[in-house]
Amino acid sequence: MVPFSETLVRLWQLLVSGDFITQFLDSAKLFLAGFVLALIVGMPLGMLLARVRTLRIGVEPYIMILYATPMVALIPFILSMMGFGFAPKLLVVFLFAVFPVLYNTVEGARSIRPELIEVAKSFRSSEWALWREVMLPYTLPYTMTGVRQAIGRALVGMIAAEFFLSATGLGQLIMSASQNFDTGGVFASILIIGLLGIGLTRLGLVIEQHFARWRQ
Amino acid sequence: MAEQALSAPVPAARKPALNRQPGTFVPRLITGLAILLIWEIVVRAIAPAYVAKPSAVALAIPKVLVDPAFQRALGSTLLAVTEGLTITIIIGTVLGLLMGRSPAFDRVFRVYINGFNAMPMIIVLPLFSLWFGYSSAARIATIIFAAIFAITMNVADGARSVPREYLEVSRSFRSGRLRALTDIILPASMPYLLAGFRLAAGRALIGAVVAEFFLSVGGLGYYILYNSRSYHHNEAFVGVLLLAAFGVGFELLVNWATRRFMPWYRRDERS
Repeated sequence: MVPFSETLVRLWQLLVSGDFITQFLDSAKLFLAGFVLALIVGMPLGMLLARVRTLRIGVEPYIMILYATPMVALIPFILSMMGFGFAPKLLVVFLFAVFPVLYNTVEGARSIRPELIEVAKSFRSSEWALWREVMLPYTLPYTMTGVRQAIGRALVGMIAAEFFLSATGLGQLIMSASQNFDTGGVFASILIIGLLGIGLTRLGLVIEQHFARWRQ
Repeated sequence: MAEQALSAPVPAARKPALNRQPGTFVPRLITGLAILLIWEIVVRAIAPAYVAKPSAVALAIPKVLVDPAFQRALGSTLLAVTEGLTITIIIGTVLGLLMGRSPAFDRVFRVYINGFNAMPMIIVLPLFSLWFGYSSAARIATIIFAAIFAITMNVADGARSVPREYLEVSRSFRSGRLRALTDIILPASMPYLLAGFRLAAGRALIGAVVAEFFLSVGGLGYYILYNSRSYHHNEAFVGVLLLAAFGVGFELLVNWATRRFMPWYRRDERS
């Protein structure tokens, strides 16, 4: 154990030396890339699954299984197949984040009232207009619930990738402190990552609530 | 903040009914077979020989299941998760009840519990490895840390949502505080406890696997790590299948328990 004062001293050193900023940017790049990729894949796929009923019925149980599987267990496979670059880490963050988005989008798109689609159809709406004007606005609040969950998961995925694949970013910061028995440094890193997690979770809640306004 | 705990992953609300829908089995079977087939073809076509493919995994299953090393690993992880979850449920329920029923306690601790809950739990691993060494004690500590806040927050929400009339009626019949706790507050917050347990069980499983990766403690996670490092991907994948089965099993168990023991409780659509 170390006194709290030493943690603060180490925290100050990390901030001043610029170590923290470089590592933070490194992690942020990984997080954002994986997260955006999860959104780009998860949202359209979720709506497609909701629109094509047979496909949804077929795929649904497998999505549920993957959603409940601890994704960390796949990291060793990713490591030995893809090595140490940026791509395997991106894949880990993506895998952590995509299923909440997908799951909630399907759930939302499925709860669209059939009348809405029927009305759109009877006004001869094209498939594209139907997606843009009915499906997207209707599912967005649900997707945002998925986004909130995905933020937390992507953060875990990011740290796990940085721990177990190649040590970079905030994960490396904490790892190297731990290997040097620098408990103050470990605490300082935990404090930083913890605050980051709290901030991001808040952000997720704000986003979710912002979109929840038009959800009955 | 109540939404946060309540609306945390609550999938499969209507799943059980769905499973019994007629005409869903065939498309599901076909999709499953198609996934396996594509996987097999892709791996055979482009991936190196050691990469796991369905046919080889299927062949590895009986071999792995009778392997004593695997059984030891499985037992070790399951025991750790069970111990960790038991401790978690006891401490988490007590903390949650205190938070739900005592505004003073709630004011003091809520912000910290919320904060810890938002932290990516695996960052404590380096710290726990310093404190507890590379041991199974560190694994249990990780499991507890990973799971406890989910239970605490859910129980707190449950205890807070007990209708006041229930408590007033019990007081007018001169029941003691302990009776009110065991006979009213605890049963009323049971659905929340179960929802929390579902979350916590999933997290405990992840915590155990990550801890085994990090600490090289023997168990299912370490079995997967070791075998995939020595290019026995098929054997390692059997471990992943088992983990997936546990994850799904917890889900189904909680769903079943909710329907069986609390049929009046409907999870709302907000999830």
